[in-house]
Amino acid sequence: MNDIDRDDKLISAASGLTTGISPERDLWPGIEQAIATPKRSRWTPMLAQAAAVVLLIGASSGITYFTMKEEPVVIQQFSAELRFEQTAFGAEQTLGSVYRGAQGDYRTDLDAELEKLSPEVRADIENNLALIKDAIAEINVALEKNPDNVLLQELLVRSYREQHTLLRRVGALTKHVMVRKDI
Amino acid sequence: MNRILVFVLGGLLVSPVLAEERVDRTIDAAPDGEVEIYNTAGSITVEGWSRDSVRVTGEIGDDVEELVLERDGDYILVKVKVPRNHGRDIDADITVNVPEDSAIEVSGVSADIDVEAVNGDQSLQTVSGDVEVDGVSANIEAASVSGDVEVTGTGKVGEAAAATVSGDVWVSGFAGELEAESVSGDVTITDGSFERVYFETVNGDLIFSGQLLRGGKIAAESVNGDVELDFDGAVSASFDIETFNGDIDNCFGPKPERTSRYAPGLELSFSQGDGDGRVVIETLNGDVSICND
Repeated sequence: MNDIDRDDKLISAASGLTTGISPERDLWPGIEQAIATPKRSRWTPMLAQAAAVVLLIGASSGITYFTMKEEPVVIQQFSAELRFEQTAFGAEQTLGSVYRGAQGDYRTDLDAELEKLSPEVRADIENNLALIKDAIAEINVALEKNPDNVLLQELLVRSYREQHTLLRRVGALTKHVMVRKDI
Repeated sequence: MNRILVFVLGGLLVSPVLAEERVDRTIDAAPDGEVEIYNTAGSITVEGWSRDSVRVTGEIGDDVEELVLERDGDYILVKVKVPRNHGRDIDADITVNVPEDSAIEVSGVSADIDVEAVNGDQSLQTVSGDVEVDGVSANIEAASVSGDVEVTGTGKVGEAAAATVSGDVWVSGFAGELEAESVSGDVTITDGSFERVYFETVNGDLIFSGQLLRGGKIAAESVNGDVELDFDGAVSASFDIETFNGDIDNCFGPKPERTSRYAPGLELSFSQGDGDGRVVIETLNGDVSICND
């Protein structure tokens, strides 16, 4: 018997099989009900929110605990030129860490730049930074006595800005001038 | 013996001259392109001319690596190149002629910058040299740390920014908008007509003698320096002046008042003319004087 004869025999046998089988009991009503009514989750939005709050509080408490445990509280003292008067500016008593970080970065650039300049120019820049520092300290002292004085508040903020601008400007002075780096 | 001495002394006197190299180079340029100039030490003189070319003349020190003069399209670069660990003789005194409508950008360290008859925008910066600009008719930024900055305009409207740390700032004959600042130097503005002026110092004085255009604004801020405004002709503006520890002298009439029974501050608010402009002055310790002629 060749392959073609074998296939004909199988096709003939298959055509004699039953094409439909009836279920033993009617299952459709149950399926239909299940589709129409989605399964109700016990994880309600409210519950999810409550869990999130608990998780958040737990996590932050944990972080606070470990932080406090490993690092004792250090009360930092700020010099007058880095201090906003608490009564004038509310709870924000000192300059933020972002500002002080930026100022530190600028100061690093400035120091690198000062090394390239003549002693006279270096002294000139340092003297003028000291002038701004003194002005800021003087305004802070005046603010201590007159915390509601808007003029003093404005002058203080501008003086900080002036200090920042000077640090930034001087810190980038010679970057404009090209030098050969291959020698 | 005397001959030898004369020869040696003569050699000493001549040797600095011999150390300088004379340069004279020219390159074609766009009539309104951009010219960028760098020179670390010495002097930079920029002069506008009617030719479409850039010419560099002058003398450069023995330790200067090379003078670069390159063109890339509308852009020309003039650069006095010095080695990073340079010797003592890196001074270069150069004069750069540029097409008069060029925009220029000039940078130096211990170099004076002198610009004349350039019509395009200008950006000028040095550290310990002076900046002097004559015939400004477009936008300009000029800055020095310990040197003075002097800008003379042609009366054309533009935007100007002038800044120093310890040097003085002088601006005259300018029109439009001006920002001028110094830490310990004085800022003096004369003979201009302005839509907006903003100037400030920490310890220097602020002096304005010019015209405030209708609807124009002036803001002057100082910590310890005095502020003196002297308007050309009639002025129409509302004034708000306040000082924490200084005096206020007003020749327009109204008198200042104490800000508090317990603090030394004075304030003065009034309107002059139609009051369509605005003048704001604030100082900590500086005195304020306002008047017109």
